[in-house]
Amino acid sequence: MTTLRFPLSRIEGHARVEMEVQDGKVVSAQFQAIEMRGFRYFMLGTPAEQMPVIVPRICGVCSTAHHVASVKALEDIFEVEPPKLAKEIRELLLLGQLIQNQATSLFIFTMPDRVGASSIFHMDESEADPEQQLSLAQRALKVRQAGTNLITLAGGQFIHPIKAIIGGVTSGIKPEPAQKMLAEMEALLPVVCTLFDEYWEMSLKMKERIGTWGDDQPAYYIASTGRTGLELNSDMIRILGPNGTERASFPPRQFRTYLDYQDTEYSYAGQTSYQGEVMRANSLARINLANATGTPLADEYMQKLTHAFGKPAHPILLFDLCRGIELVYAFERAIEMLSQDLEYEDPSLPYALKDGEGFGLVEAPRGPLIHHYTVKEGLITDAEFIIPTTHNMLAIERALKVAGDRYVTPEGINLELEKAVGRVVRAFDPCIACATQ
Amino acid sequence: MSLNPTLPRFAVLQLSGCAGCEVSLINASEWVEKYQLVYMPLVVSTHAVPEDTEILLVSGGVRNDEDVWNLRHAAEIVDRVIAVGTCAISGGVANLGDRDDVRAMFMSQASRHHVPHLLPKSHPIDAFVDVDLYLPGCPPTPELFMGALTGPENFEASSIVCQECGRKKLKDMRPTHLVGFQQGEVLPDICLINQGYLCVGSSTRGGCRAICTRPGHPCVGCRGPSNAYIEKESSVWFDRVQKVFENMTDIPPEEIREALHSPQLSMFLFQFTDYQGGDRPPRPKEKVL
Repeated sequence: MTTLRFPLSRIEGHARVEMEVQDGKVVSAQFQAIEMRGFRYFMLGTPAEQMPVIVPRICGVCSTAHHVASVKALEDIFEVEPPKLAKEIRELLLLGQLIQNQATSLFIFTMPDRVGASSIFHMDESEADPEQQLSLAQRALKVRQAGTNLITLAGGQFIHPIKAIIGGVTSGIKPEPAQKMLAEMEALLPVVCTLFDEYWEMSLKMKERIGTWGDDQPAYYIASTGRTGLELNSDMIRILGPNGTERASFPPRQFRTYLDYQDTEYSYAGQTSYQGEVMRANSLARINLANATGTPLADEYMQKLTHAFGKPAHPILLFDLCRGIELVYAFERAIEMLSQDLEYEDPSLPYALKDGEGFGLVEAPRGPLIHHYTVKEGLITDAEFIIPTTHNMLAIERALKVAGDRYVTPEGINLELEKAVGRVVRAFDPCIACATQ
Repeated sequence: MSLNPTLPRFAVLQLSGCAGCEVSLINASEWVEKYQLVYMPLVVSTHAVPEDTEILLVSGGVRNDEDVWNLRHAAEIVDRVIAVGTCAISGGVANLGDRDDVRAMFMSQASRHHVPHLLPKSHPIDAFVDVDLYLPGCPPTPELFMGALTGPENFEASSIVCQECGRKKLKDMRPTHLVGFQQGEVLPDICLINQGYLCVGSSTRGGCRAICTRPGHPCVGCRGPSNAYIEKESSVWFDRVQKVFENMTDIPPEEIREALHSPQLSMFLFQFTDYQGGDRPPRPKEKVL
């Protein structure tokens, strides 16, 4: 038995892949999360009202999703429904997060694989024309920056947002900064589309080079977005079967009825399944579960994808193309929202502390995120974080096995395997800081 | 954005943390023309700090045995080590687990056999290696990152957050109780203390440009104490905050004292002196940006 260990880079957090090989065959492929801080333990005893400021520190990449999920869980316990304006500001916040995240995943994590560079900051070392690569990198970073700027505008702070509060948000958005943001996004929307077109082309070329789109076996899909739009702030989770029929729809309170969770000895992150079946979360799940995105340009791209790959589509490298569709959607939707009045009412309602158990759901860039708290006398007595990346763990390992089987033969191990492992993992864009907390 | 070999080479070592510091660094795009990034697993496919690296930024705390090895090994290579963010400086949010009950749970429930082993608690990086510069903040802003890279002598900041905030302090607006941490409407342009919020910006070090207090959220002190308090026990800082509230409000002192010791403030307030159980010397203010 030989153990192959692959360190990973260009993903969020610390993880590695281990494959056991015997007689030229891959016996097992493990995706190991190798860090943990222990939020579910050390949050015990914390005053409940402080959770929305502390939990963004679970992850500096997904902080916005944790911030909003936390507020929603506490609102569930204290029985307060935020005003419409507050929900709109939170949606803008989540759109900013989606832009920042999908741009990071597309351009910083996976684009270097497509041009043969070690990072977006080293694009001129790639095989392609240096001038063209430099322009690509500069445009990509500008697009990503717009997401960060939107988070800052709607969330108050640029990494760990602060503006969502129990019962609403601290303030609306004034016309002047809203106009400035709007202008920035309108100017960038054509840039986003061109970048995505270029990325799409690069991906098709990569298909020829590696000869496969990866693990393209059917799977179940999980997302909390709507059927006719990519809404990020819904209250229902849905499961799609491998053949495209919806299998379940449930509120976060019932997640244990539908999802099975298990721990493993080889990772600080757990794994979930849909009643024992491998499922996938993140962009491909959302696009498979929605009939339309809800904005014109993104819908065009969605149709292009469906035309080329069918629906539901299963090859894992399509996760990246779906991220591109969502990036376009997030720009279009934010432009729509920033064009409207964002100060028309009091953005928060009063509430009173009370004991109870609550659930907060948001569609994070990586899938449905649930915060589940129990509060007694104002203090947290139980905290559970159901992280989107854990929904993808079994799917990642299945796809790694496919890659392993392809490059490991009785004649030897093809060195392309190391790159393939990186591409497989990056397709799922796992977040290890979140998955382990 | 090039491999110009004459540019200073820097690496970013991520220990156990949230990657917020790295995201902030990516937002600070000005370094791209002036420095060469040679190692940062979040964005670059390299698996070790190269031998000729000059500057090492370390983010995250030391939480497991692999963190210890990676830190010691990387620090040996470089000329200058910069501790970035609250986790590298004090253990940060993970330090909230520094309680007997939590430690017992870690050891009994959280530890795993086949992966890097958890240490009983989270440690700041200077428990293992010498640090040349501390850059506090959760996370430090892109501007602060540039200050740390180019040298603190080129960075101008007010001594405290209050001076960067610009909200007006009123003499005749004296709250009698703290408003709930997340409750109530925030009036624009008026000091948050006048409005009954537990804001510690009056003695928290400046340089962040008051990004939280300006949109209406009280300062939680993530940048740590100003130079006036940084080498002293945190109780001196607490007393100072207490005094500010006595001067500006009619809130009972016990109420302030209790609130200051709550987790979301204490994870930042203890970061410079009473860390590691208070048995280590204070960090000199000259080494803090």
